[in-house]
Amino acid sequence: MTTPPLIEFRKVSKLYGSGEATIRALDRIDLSIRPQEFVAIMGPSGSGKSTAMNIIGCLDVPTDGDYLFQGISTSGFDRTQLTLLRRHMLGFVFQGFNLLPRTSAIENVELPLVYRGIDTKERRSRAADALARVGLAGREHHTAQQLSGGQQQRVAIARAIVTDPAVLLADEPTGNLDTRTSIEIMELITGLNRDRDITVIMVTHENDIAAYARRVLRFVDGRLESDRMNSEVADVS
Amino acid sequence: MFLETVKLALRAISRNLLRSFLTVLGVVIGVAAVIAMVTIGNGTTAQVTADISKLGTNMLFVRPGQFGPRRAATEPKRFTERDVDAIRSQINGLRAVSPVSQSTAVIIYGGQNHSSTVAGVTNDYLIAQNWELASGRSFLASEERGGQTACILGETVRQELFGAARPEGQLIRVGKLSCSVIGVLEKKGQSGMGNDQDDTVLVPLRVYQRRIGGTTDISTIMLSARDGISTAKVQSDVTALLRERRKIGLGREDDFNVNDMTQMAATLTGTTTLLTGLLGAVAAVSLLVGGIGIMNIMLVSVTERTREIGTRLAIGALEGQVLMQFLVEAVTLSIFGGVVGILLGLGLAYTVVSFLGVPFVTSPTIIAVAFFFSAAIGMIFGYFPARRAAQLNPIEALRHE
Repeated sequence: MTTPPLIEFRKVSKLYGSGEATIRALDRIDLSIRPQEFVAIMGPSGSGKSTAMNIIGCLDVPTDGDYLFQGISTSGFDRTQLTLLRRHMLGFVFQGFNLLPRTSAIENVELPLVYRGIDTKERRSRAADALARVGLAGREHHTAQQLSGGQQQRVAIARAIVTDPAVLLADEPTGNLDTRTSIEIMELITGLNRDRDITVIMVTHENDIAAYARRVLRFVDGRLESDRMNSEVADVS
Repeated sequence: MFLETVKLALRAISRNLLRSFLTVLGVVIGVAAVIAMVTIGNGTTAQVTADISKLGTNMLFVRPGQFGPRRAATEPKRFTERDVDAIRSQINGLRAVSPVSQSTAVIIYGGQNHSSTVAGVTNDYLIAQNWELASGRSFLASEERGGQTACILGETVRQELFGAARPEGQLIRVGKLSCSVIGVLEKKGQSGMGNDQDDTVLVPLRVYQRRIGGTTDISTIMLSARDGISTAKVQSDVTALLRERRKIGLGREDDFNVNDMTQMAATLTGTTTLLTGLLGAVAAVSLLVGGIGIMNIMLVSVTERTREIGTRLAIGALEGQVLMQFLVEAVTLSIFGGVVGILLGLGLAYTVVSFLGVPFVTSPTIIAVAFFFSAAIGMIFGYFPARRAAQLNPIEALRHE
């Protein structure tokens, strides 16, 4: 008895270029991720992990095969439909934080709600809640430049979860942070996954970061080389 | 959503205030030129209208030839004393009929000389023009018949030749003619057309014809209708009479013109319209350049903010929402230019107008037109960069350094 997959790849391929110069970034990948999982995607650069992440995030579409979200095929979705899926189901956290410059923390967190057309008052309170959840209460009006890297990433996480997404997609979330801050951020993400039932999919190339996940997918040359539960990979504690 | 976007755009502008200003300089200059021009034009028109109403709307000018750009190939026949007599005896409702012939001559008194307009007139001229004497007297009947040579000076001529001295009774030379000063006209100041009305010397018409003009022709007949008499009626009566006297057949055009002051003003405004059109073309070019400036800076802005656009697209901004954001930014920028241009134009107009001594008349219509036109420029020239931003691939945009 298993829960129906939240995310499912059916023979997904992604090709770049044409003719002789064709690069097969993903080669007929089959994959399924269930709700509330915490998955790390690993692999050397050029392995296809970023491409897979982009397709999961609806930022890119497969050349071949089918990507199903909550059992619904996304092939044939146009740009607007993909955007709406992102807007309502997905939250993004990037390596470089990508906060809007010269804009306060709370305004950054409000941004996804602005695009959803939620009124100012509700936006303010939801954004303040999200900031409190990532431990930044009292810093609502600091701009990105006035915050440390770790704090900026917390703002980015608040921005990703303010819409209560089904999936949090994190692309190297600790790539620009020192070890101590990395641990703090990973504990925050783990907590969100555990306490708020958010499915987390994270790209990383560091083993000790991947160790926070319960499942690790390893890509090599566009193929899924391994798919293991973390107890099999290493001892977390 | 819309308000958010406007707030965002205003913040982007104030952050780069100098850059924003330089960007919209073309729009500023174009708008300022139009506003200044129209405001100054309005002022002069108001001044001309005021001058005309001061003169009285009951004035009519009868001149040979056609007024305006259409000129006959041959010099049209001038009027004679007999035409004047015919008007005087056959047209009803006239207060004054004043034949005028004039040319330019050098006026000499003592060691001073001054070039001025010499007009051969009768006393009716003073009645028709509502012109009082500041001192002295008007022509006597004997002087009008050409007996003795007497002349009346305008204020400017008096000032030039006599300064503080009393001019009455003094002999001056007008061209080759010597005459004694019998009076000085009241100061009238500049006319709406910008020439000095006080720079004139009046001599009796007969004297002018014999000693200066050399012919008995009359170049202009000024008519003044009585109060309550319509100038249109006088105009058509005089036209009919002169057509008959000058033997102009049915269907042929007049070889003279009878205009009242409003028609004179219309002709004058006609030249202003031409000038307005010309300067309007200059303004249009400036606005075009301004628009291209806005397009350029918006393209730079889109490139600079590629990552930001990528982030926005990733977290759920629709193409239309990104397009709207950049369009609003471009429009806000060009409206900013428009507003600065309007203020600058009004300031410029105010300076020029107070220098010219004409009233400051603003036109809300042209200000509104300038405002919406500058907004339209932002819309038109901002569309291409905004579309480029909206159509960015989010993956590439996020990867952009």
